[in-house]
Amino acid sequence: MANQTTETVRLMIDGISISVPKGTLVIEAARQAGVMIPHFCYHPKLKPDANCRMCLVEIERVRKLQTSCSTVATEGMAVRTATTVVNDAHKSVLEFILANHPLDCPVCDQGGRCDLQDFSHQYTATSRFAETKRIFQKEYFSPLIETQMNRCVQCLRCVRYCDEVMDVKALAPIGRGTMTEIKSFGNHPLDCEFCGGCVQICPVGAITSRLSMYEYRPWMLKRADTICTFCGDGCQITVQTKDQELIEVNSAHSGGRNNGDLCARGYFGFHAASHPDRVTHPLIRRNGTLVEATWEEALLFVAEQTNRIKQAHGPQAFGGLISGRCTNEELYLFQKFMRLTIGTNNLDSSARYGHVNGVQAMRRVQGTHRWTVTFEDIVQADVLLLVGTNITEANPITGLKVKEAVKKQEATLLTIEALQPAVGTISNITNLSKQHLCVAPSQFGAAVLGLLKAVIEGDHVDPGIRQRASDYVSALSHAVRQIAWEDLAVSTGISSDSFAQMAASVVRGRRVVVLAGQILLRSQGGYGMCLNLLDLLLLSGKLTSPGCGFAPLAEENNDQGAVEMGAVAELLPGALDLTDQDSRDRMARAWKEELPLVPGGTLIEMVDRASAGIIKSLFVVGENPVGSLPSQIRAKEALSKLDLLVCQELFLTETAALAHVVLPAASAMEKAGTFTNTEGHAQAVRPAIDPVGDSRPDWEILSAFSVFLGAPLEYGEAKEILKEIRSVIPGYGSLGPSPIAPTADPSAIDRYVTEGYRHDVAIRYTLPPRAVRQEGTVQLGLVQSLFHSGKFSTHSKGLLQIEPSAFLQMNPVDAARFALGSGDRVRLSNNRGQFITTVKVLERVPEGLAWLPDHFAQEALRLFDCVIDPDTKVPSFRTATVSVLKAT
Amino acid sequence: MLKDKYQQEIDELLSRYPVKRSALIPLLYLAQRDEGFVSEGAMKEIAGLLHLTPPQVYETATFYTMINLKPVGKFHLQVCKSLMCALAGSDTVIGWVKTKLGIGPGETTTDGLFTLSAVECLAACGTAPMMQVNDDYYERLTEDTFDRILADLKKDGSCSLKTGPFMWPEPAPAKPGA
Repeated sequence: MANQTTETVRLMIDGISISVPKGTLVIEAARQAGVMIPHFCYHPKLKPDANCRMCLVEIERVRKLQTSCSTVATEGMAVRTATTVVNDAHKSVLEFILANHPLDCPVCDQGGRCDLQDFSHQYTATSRFAETKRIFQKEYFSPLIETQMNRCVQCLRCVRYCDEVMDVKALAPIGRGTMTEIKSFGNHPLDCEFCGGCVQICPVGAITSRLSMYEYRPWMLKRADTICTFCGDGCQITVQTKDQELIEVNSAHSGGRNNGDLCARGYFGFHAASHPDRVTHPLIRRNGTLVEATWEEALLFVAEQTNRIKQAHGPQAFGGLISGRCTNEELYLFQKFMRLTIGTNNLDSSARYGHVNGVQAMRRVQGTHRWTVTFEDIVQADVLLLVGTNITEANPITGLKVKEAVKKQEATLLTIEALQPAVGTISNITNLSKQHLCVAPSQFGAAVLGLLKAVIEGDHVDPGIRQRASDYVSALSHAVRQIAWEDLAVSTGISSDSFAQMAASVVRGRRVVVLAGQILLRSQGGYGMCLNLLDLLLLSGKLTSPGCGFAPLAEENNDQGAVEMGAVAELLPGALDLTDQDSRDRMARAWKEELPLVPGGTLIEMVDRASAGIIKSLFVVGENPVGSLPSQIRAKEALSKLDLLVCQELFLTETAALAHVVLPAASAMEKAGTFTNTEGHAQAVRPAIDPVGDSRPDWEILSAFSVFLGAPLEYGEAKEILKEIRSVIPGYGSLGPSPIAPTADPSAIDRYVTEGYRHDVAIRYTLPPRAVRQEGTVQLGLVQSLFHSGKFSTHSKGLLQIEPSAFLQMNPVDAARFALGSGDRVRLSNNRGQFITTVKVLERVPEGLAWLPDHFAQEALRLFDCVIDPDTKVPSFRTATVSVLKAT
Repeated sequence: MLKDKYQQEIDELLSRYPVKRSALIPLLYLAQRDEGFVSEGAMKEIAGLLHLTPPQVYETATFYTMINLKPVGKFHLQVCKSLMCALAGSDTVIGWVKTKLGIGPGETTTDGLFTLSAVECLAACGTAPMMQVNDDYYERLTEDTFDRILADLKKDGSCSLKTGPFMWPEPAPAKPGA
């Protein structure tokens, strides 16, 4: 709950008078006054523990020295940190710590950025201790994290971080007294979320990263603050390099939207960019095989072929696909290239896989293409509703915001997830729920309808909206009346009482944030569910209240940017409607050229048109439709028919393998630009290393194409494109530390509640079909894994050590039914085909469901049906019914 | 599995505390009573019962010297080595064990009868040096009484010199009216 107090207290610290909010700790007040009090166990993210005794200070009228990390500043307090008594105390504490701390700084990775080293210098502490030092038997700890417990100062920051911030609780202080060491469980290697938080928060070299062990001294490293590319959260990372070598990634405390916290992908996944399989030279297909060529040859080839096809078949014979991992500058230039240089609206990005569902729903109901809330609003919410997020795996840092809201601010967490509360090796958000409804992904829609029915029938509809839009309210009331509680109970397994209870919690909230995750967004009917969740906020009167809002979570780091840059067929930069004449005129004025009129084809439409021979040429930037789409879409066959397939890629993907020209693209580690995260916050991307081999940033390649095609879109550097973006799209003016969320547009809401809701209300307020699950089958779902993000991360040696291959996660009850145990091979089959993988039994998986991580699921894709959303054209292929058989 | 054998007792223990985690030590004792020590399997099961992670159970189990993480002999000699007993000669007591039984702290005699542990304060400082054998206290130890205790334990499995047991909370009083 947000308990922001403006009350302040005034105190003196070393003679400096300072006023701080009531409740501030003395150590923090001192920091604000510019006085650094030495400490080990204190960390602003953690509750005070006062175990290291390093931060002792003198407080007037208090007889003994006090730990400043656990003492709250009070009015009129006078604190002294620089007296002889305090200094002696600090010296003594250091002497105790150094009694056991080995002097192995020359071989310690922390050397040069070690708090203990710094304080030892500061106090010139010497030790009178002559006995043998404490020595721990060294045990193997984990594939990625190294422990050297002899160096531990027992501040327990790592243990507290693992519990308080991550909610993983994988570390514990083992033993007692001096002999306390940090361990996981017995002599088992650590199995956890591998967020790297313990490595980052350790004040000494007791916990370090094995990926960069013995490779550097901190002062040898060059640093670049940039943005992680592994999900939509947009975490700030500091990439540390030695020449061209990626050494380490960390995140400055309180830096970025992630506040210095990272997940396994961000912390250990950075090696993906420097994988030896990178495409480093342009390749041209000659006599059926891709052979190395120079940039000049490749660009000339593309230009000649493009001109030839354009002359023969016109601009509509072209299409373009771009990945949501590219920078805003590249996305912007890509759509400009396709629309102006080529002359077609046939272009799409990976936002089409799900993010478009959320964005289009927001545009339709509230007239924004961004969240009306920020991460801060999540932390300060008093009610959070999560629907189909799988937040720990899919958007781990947004997950941390939710955890913070629940654990520190006592928010009420309501969850509708395909998850069972269970303690496991990674955290489980439903363990923190006040109320959790465990629903299969195919029935999320039913659960949302149940909630809406409970809001309407429980008489919770906001009087304001009832008065303003009585037609809308009565239409929805009529619609939910058509749905029987009994049917809802059969679909979801949830009783009307549970829905009523959850609806009451939502309505009671003052700051309500609804988060919709990838499982929902990528499900069949995802668009309708987003609209219904927005209806829920509208009906309960929350949509326009401050601190309330709807927050669909982006999958790729720049899916949001892709939409905002107009890198989707139906939208122009600024997420303006392509069909809107005003918007078209505005863009035409800015570009000084007319825009193509013919509506563009989306991802699946382009594949179909390629298959039909209408599209002859495709420009693909970092996308992999052949590898990502299920085989019944026949992307491979369609793309094989093309006269010209140009791929800008990091690796020779399934799609690139079919290309006529493959151009080596620079990874995000090698280029400048901006990413827009899931909240709609644009952040700077900075190069950490030079482009690998002959690779170039995608925008440079696109710009070069345009020059060779005789219609130059020339820019000297990415910044020049950003300048153009700023002139075209409002809100890209400055890259501040936090986003300014737009407010819902009242006129858009009026349009929605008067007319806009009408045409599909009957369809949206219908229960999704119930699959009859036969004996011997499970509902297979594709899910995101915490340890990977698409195919890209499978090139990261760190992440491969945690999760090297595909596995099927299933519930113990189901596993017992099929006589399966963890590690057994299993054959999944349906009438489309079969797939063999390994089983992992996990309590968090609900009965009747089984999960497959999607980055290894390519072979399994053929088992899935693909349904295209009629409104947003989003292809959904996330669930399938399969028979399960133990494979021998 | 503890649950199969002690379902009722576990339910009773869990019902005692408003916060589930509080039942951790009683459950560890239960597991120890069952096997003589607390195994990894038992710790995992207890973690499941209390919605904790195994490291959280392990943390508590390793903190208290009363919880054995390895099998112990029939008689578990727990010699207090905290300050008061140390001043009164707990090192000497440990020396007697070494000469008479041939075991040091953490070791078990080959016949499986005795295990020696050096433990933290057992709150009998006024009667130091002292040791605990299984649940019984033996206080104001001298070499003579020590010999007698060993001999009696070997012979009868018990010794009249014992005081206590002090380690167990009294059983929960019957609820009034029940």
